[in-house]
Amino acid sequence: MTGLTSFYREKEAYLLGIGFIVFLLALWQCVPLLITLPRGYALFFTTPSRIAATFYRLLVEGQIQEHFYVSVAAFLSGLGIAIAVGLPFGIVMGRSRTLDALSDPYVTALNATPRLVWLPLFILWFGIGIWSKVMIVFVGAVFPLLINTYAGVKNVDRVLVNVVRSFGANEWQVMKVVVLPNSLPYIIVGLRLAIGRAILGVVVGEFFGSSKGLGFMIASAASNYKVDVVFAGVAIFMGLSLILTLSVKKLENSLARWRPEAAKNF
Amino acid sequence: MVPCIQARDISLTFKPKNRDPVTALKELTLDVAKGEFVSLVGPSGCGKSTFLNVLLGLLKPDGGEIRLNGKQITGPGQERAMVFQEFGLLPWRTVLANVELGLELKGVQASVRRERAMELIKMAGLAGFASHYPHELSGGMKQRVGLARALVTDPEVLLMDEPFAALDAQTRDLMQLELLQIWDRTKKTVVFVTHSIEEAAYLSDRVIVISARPGRAKDVMKIALPRPRDYEMRLSAEFNDIKARIWASLKEELVTK
Repeated sequence: MTGLTSFYREKEAYLLGIGFIVFLLALWQCVPLLITLPRGYALFFTTPSRIAATFYRLLVEGQIQEHFYVSVAAFLSGLGIAIAVGLPFGIVMGRSRTLDALSDPYVTALNATPRLVWLPLFILWFGIGIWSKVMIVFVGAVFPLLINTYAGVKNVDRVLVNVVRSFGANEWQVMKVVVLPNSLPYIIVGLRLAIGRAILGVVVGEFFGSSKGLGFMIASAASNYKVDVVFAGVAIFMGLSLILTLSVKKLENSLARWRPEAAKNF
Repeated sequence: MVPCIQARDISLTFKPKNRDPVTALKELTLDVAKGEFVSLVGPSGCGKSTFLNVLLGLLKPDGGEIRLNGKQITGPGQERAMVFQEFGLLPWRTVLANVELGLELKGVQASVRRERAMELIKMAGLAGFASHYPHELSGGMKQRVGLARALVTDPEVLLMDEPFAALDAQTRDLMQLELLQIWDRTKKTVVFVTHSIEEAAYLSDRVIVISARPGRAKDVMKIALPRPRDYEMRLSAEFNDIKARIWASLKEELVTK
């Protein structure tokens, strides 16, 4: 008995979280038993067990996999290009006053513009398919990466730069030894934001400019009143976002070994 | 004999954007002999630290000439190293990696620099702390790391910018004593900036009083106390006389500002 109590104490937050999810799902499952929905509403209503069954069927038929690969390819390429462009650009803008002045108006204006206004243009330019999606993912993800990297570089401790300079370091070494490690926490925050925006880019890109992908699957299922399929798609996006957020957190913690405990959870 | 450091009429004016220019140094002239321990004392903002940065090669004076062993200083060089006031340790590096920094930037092979760094970590009294991160160390230990890091490249000149100012009084006394022992063993030329008259008198061969801004070398006082010096020496009448003389010179600068 005491063993069970102490087990509960230890895992209280975890158990409460899981328990509440299970409770809500059960409640949801019971709604049709408790009240009779009018016919019009019943068409758009589903239960967890039906979603699970549909999910399983789509998985067996290979539909989910097919859409999943398309979406992941767009997500990874867009985010990859955003990292490849955003990081170096952020660093250079942070270190060079001239480049900062040159590019600041563009960065500020483009970042302030709602990113989705570009989608029709991208569809015209790159057609219905992966590249218009990659571009919309890129446009969403690049700014948080660039701006956070820039902020990290700008916030570098001048004393530390002087320390490294005093040992005769050149600009490249200053970058490698001080500027980059110092910016890392900022870059991770940027990455976290960028992932969220990249996922949003995939979904919206597939809603409007695609004939494949999870977003497309959701949109076309919705227009055919297949509510189970919509929920199956939503569940995949939820799971994906959760996994990605947790991995970034893990990355953050493994990189933050040198930090005092108090600063770790800022 | 050619002095190790020769500073002639060093002037430096900071010109911050949207603010009035500040003349930090004006025609500062001083010499430091090889192996000598010289302290600079002066009121806050008199340009002592600025002068150290000129010596280090991080700041270029607007006027005057500064030479090291007869050669003009144009930038940082491995014959000089600085111990910084707030330690200036890289927080994401372990003690070992911090101490190795100077050798790493010079491109010294990893195994060689590790061995050399461990030697200095031991000398600085940090044995057993090589894999600790700075935030796990006390202030005194952090500055031991700072000292070990400065000594790792075996510089001829050690520049110290109020290195013990952030430490508590007892740690400070201990660090002063250890610095003297290290200095005695390694025969470095030391230029030491401090606010503490007592510290300057205790450590130095000569104390140079810097005037209020713009900084000039106002007075030079030879400290003729025998070495090795110990803590008890600070209680002697002779030591108090020296302190009084430095204070008298410094006081005029404090009053005018």
